[in-house]
Amino acid sequence: MGEILLDVNDLKTRFRSRGKLIHAVNGVSFHVNRGETLGVVGESGCGKSVTMLSLLQLLPPAAQIESGTALFNRQDLIKMNFRQIQKVRGGKVGMIFQDPMTCLNPVLKIGDQVGEALIYHRRVTKEVALARAIELLRLVGIPDPEQRVKDYPHQFSGGMRQRAMIAMALACEPDLIIADEPTTALDVTIQAQIVELVKDLRDRLGVAIIWITHDLSLVAGLADRIMVMYAGLIVEEAKTEDIFDDPRHPYTLGLLSALPAFQAEKKVRRLASIPGSPPDLRAQPISCPFVPRCPFAFERCHSEVPVLMPIKGGEGSGHRIACFADTREWRAKA
Amino acid sequence: MASSSTTDTNSVPVLPAKEEKAIGIWQDSFGRLMKNRMAVLSIIIVLIMFFFAIFGPFLTPYDFLKQDLSIRSQPPSSEHWLGTDYLGRDVLSRVIYGARTATLVSLLVVVLSSFIGIVVGSISGYFGGKIDFFLMWFTDLNMAFPNLVLGVVLAVSLRPPLSRWMEQMYLSTANPGFRQSSLLDLALVVTVIVLVAWCPYARVLRSQVMAVRNHNYVLAARALGLSTFTIVVKYIIPNAIGPVIVQMSAGMGSAMLTESAFSFLGIGINPPIPSWGNMINESLRQWTSAPHLLAAPALVLGLMTVSFSFLGDGLNDALNPRQWKG
Repeated sequence: MGEILLDVNDLKTRFRSRGKLIHAVNGVSFHVNRGETLGVVGESGCGKSVTMLSLLQLLPPAAQIESGTALFNRQDLIKMNFRQIQKVRGGKVGMIFQDPMTCLNPVLKIGDQVGEALIYHRRVTKEVALARAIELLRLVGIPDPEQRVKDYPHQFSGGMRQRAMIAMALACEPDLIIADEPTTALDVTIQAQIVELVKDLRDRLGVAIIWITHDLSLVAGLADRIMVMYAGLIVEEAKTEDIFDDPRHPYTLGLLSALPAFQAEKKVRRLASIPGSPPDLRAQPISCPFVPRCPFAFERCHSEVPVLMPIKGGEGSGHRIACFADTREWRAKA
Repeated sequence: MASSSTTDTNSVPVLPAKEEKAIGIWQDSFGRLMKNRMAVLSIIIVLIMFFFAIFGPFLTPYDFLKQDLSIRSQPPSSEHWLGTDYLGRDVLSRVIYGARTATLVSLLVVVLSSFIGIVVGSISGYFGGKIDFFLMWFTDLNMAFPNLVLGVVLAVSLRPPLSRWMEQMYLSTANPGFRQSSLLDLALVVTVIVLVAWCPYARVLRSQVMAVRNHNYVLAARALGLSTFTIVVKYIIPNAIGPVIVQMSAGMGSAMLTESAFSFLGIGINPPIPSWGNMINESLRQWTSAPHLLAAPALVLGLMTVSFSFLGDGLNDALNPRQWKG
C-alpha cells in the first residue's frame, strides 16, 4: 500500500541520568506510508514520545541517539544538520503535543502563532500569514476565526487550543503529522471531536499521521495500522483489525482485556489489569522485557530477547510480533 | 465542512455577545499596577520629574548659571523659592536642571545596561553549558568590582587621554561639540556605571530564561522549525522579561544615586553643570549656616530613589501575580 514516507531502522536512544544510561528506545524499526495513519500504543515511559522526538532531533540535552536511521523522503533525519532538520520541522513534519494548555506562547496572539511557521518556511508577508491563519483556523473548526486570531491563548478553551495547535501543524502542508497524545489532556467529548477532526483532515489533505496514545480504543477507529510498544521496543505491529481480532503478543492481549466493555448485558466486573510494572530501563535487557509479567513465559523467554518477526501463517499481512510464545495455541488449549 | 461535527447546527437562543477587546498579558499587568496606590503615586512623581527634565529649561525661573554675588547663600524667599547658593545662583533652577542630568544619566544607564544584560542573560540561559559557565563567570567577576573604586580608576585613567583626543578633534574639525567637557563627563559616568550595572540584569534574565526554555511552547516552537533567534526573541524573552522590568525600575533609582555619588566625589558630572551630587558637595561647606542648600538636592534625590523603588515593587506585584498567594 502506497509509497513509503518514513522508514525508521534500528533506532536507539539513550538518556544519561546521574551517571547511568537509561535505555529509552532499544532498536525500533517501523515505517509509515504516504497518507497512512499509524497508531503507536504503549504505557507511560515505554519510549513512544522519545522515539518521535528523536526523529526530529528535539530530544533534551541529556538524551542522545546512539544508532539508527530514519529515512524521510529518502533523506536520513538522524544525520541531518541543524539547518536541514529545521526545514523539516514544521515544513515537512508537523507536531502536535500533549498538553495544549501549555503549548501556546501566552504573549503571542493566536493568529501570529499559527502563521509563524509560514513566515519562516515560506517567507510570506505578515498579512499573507494572517490570512492563511484565518483559513486554517476555519479549517480546524474554530468559529469566527477573523475575530479569534486577535485573541491570546488564555482566551481559548483547551479544545480550541488543541485545534489551534493542529492548525499550526498543518500550516505548511506537511507530509506527516506526529501527534503525541493530543487528546490526553482533554475531556472525553472534546477528545471525540478532535479525533473526528483529525480523521476528516487526513481524508481531505492526504497527510500521513503518527498518533501516539496509551488508549487502544482511541486509535481503533482512526489508525490503519497499530504498533504496540513496551520498554523501548516494538512488541507487536499489525493492521488495526488484526490487533483487535487476532492479537498475538501477551502484552497486547493484556491491554485489550484492560479495556472497559460497553455491552449492557455483560456483568459489571472490575477492569482487568496487567500485574507487575514495567522493567527498569537502566539495564540492557538479556531476556524478553515483558517476562516478569507474562503468563505465557517459558525458559527461552528468560534467556533471549525476542526480535520482531512476521507471525506464523500470516507472513503477507504485515503482522509482526516480538514473542517466542504463540499465544493463539495457548489460548486454544485453555 | 470540518466544523460540521463540532459547531452545533441547532442554535440555542443567546444574548448578543458584547464586543470585548482582547486583553493581553501586558494590559492585564497594567491594570494590576494601577490598583497599587504606592505604585501610582510613584509613577506620578516619576512623571513629574520626567516633565521637568524635558521642559526644565523653559520652566526655570532663572538661568541656572547666572551668578549674583550680592545675594550669596540666601534662605528661601518669594523671589528664590529654595534660596541661593554660595555663588548667588538660584537653587530651584539648579535642582530642576539637576533633574535633567539625573534623568539623562539614569535612562542611558538603564537602557544600555539592560540591553547588555538581556543579550548576555538570554544567551547564557538558553544555550547553557560551557557558554553559560563562561558568561556567568565573567558576570560574577564584574560584579565583584566595587563600583566606586572602578569608577575612580577609570575616570582618572581615561579622562586625560580622552580630553586630549577631544582637544585635537576640535583643532582639526573646529566642531564646537568637542569643546563640551560636559559631554565627556556624561559619557564617562554612564560608561562607568554601565560596566557594572548590566550584571544583575544578566543574572536575573538568565535564571528566568532557564525556567522558560523548558516550557512546552518552546518545544512546540522548535518543532515548528523556527530559528533560534526567533524563539529567543519572540518566545523566551517576552515570557522572561518581567523581573528585568522590575530591575529596570530599581536600576533607575540606583543609577541616579550612583551618578550623584560620583558627582559628589568630583569624578562624575563636574560643575558648573548642576547634578544633585555636585550640588550636595558644594553645599556641604556651609551646611551649618545654610542647611537648605544641602536639603534641596538631597531630598529630591531621596524622593526619586524611593519612588523608583516603590514603582519597582509595584511592578513586581503586577508582573508576578503568582507571588500574591492571596
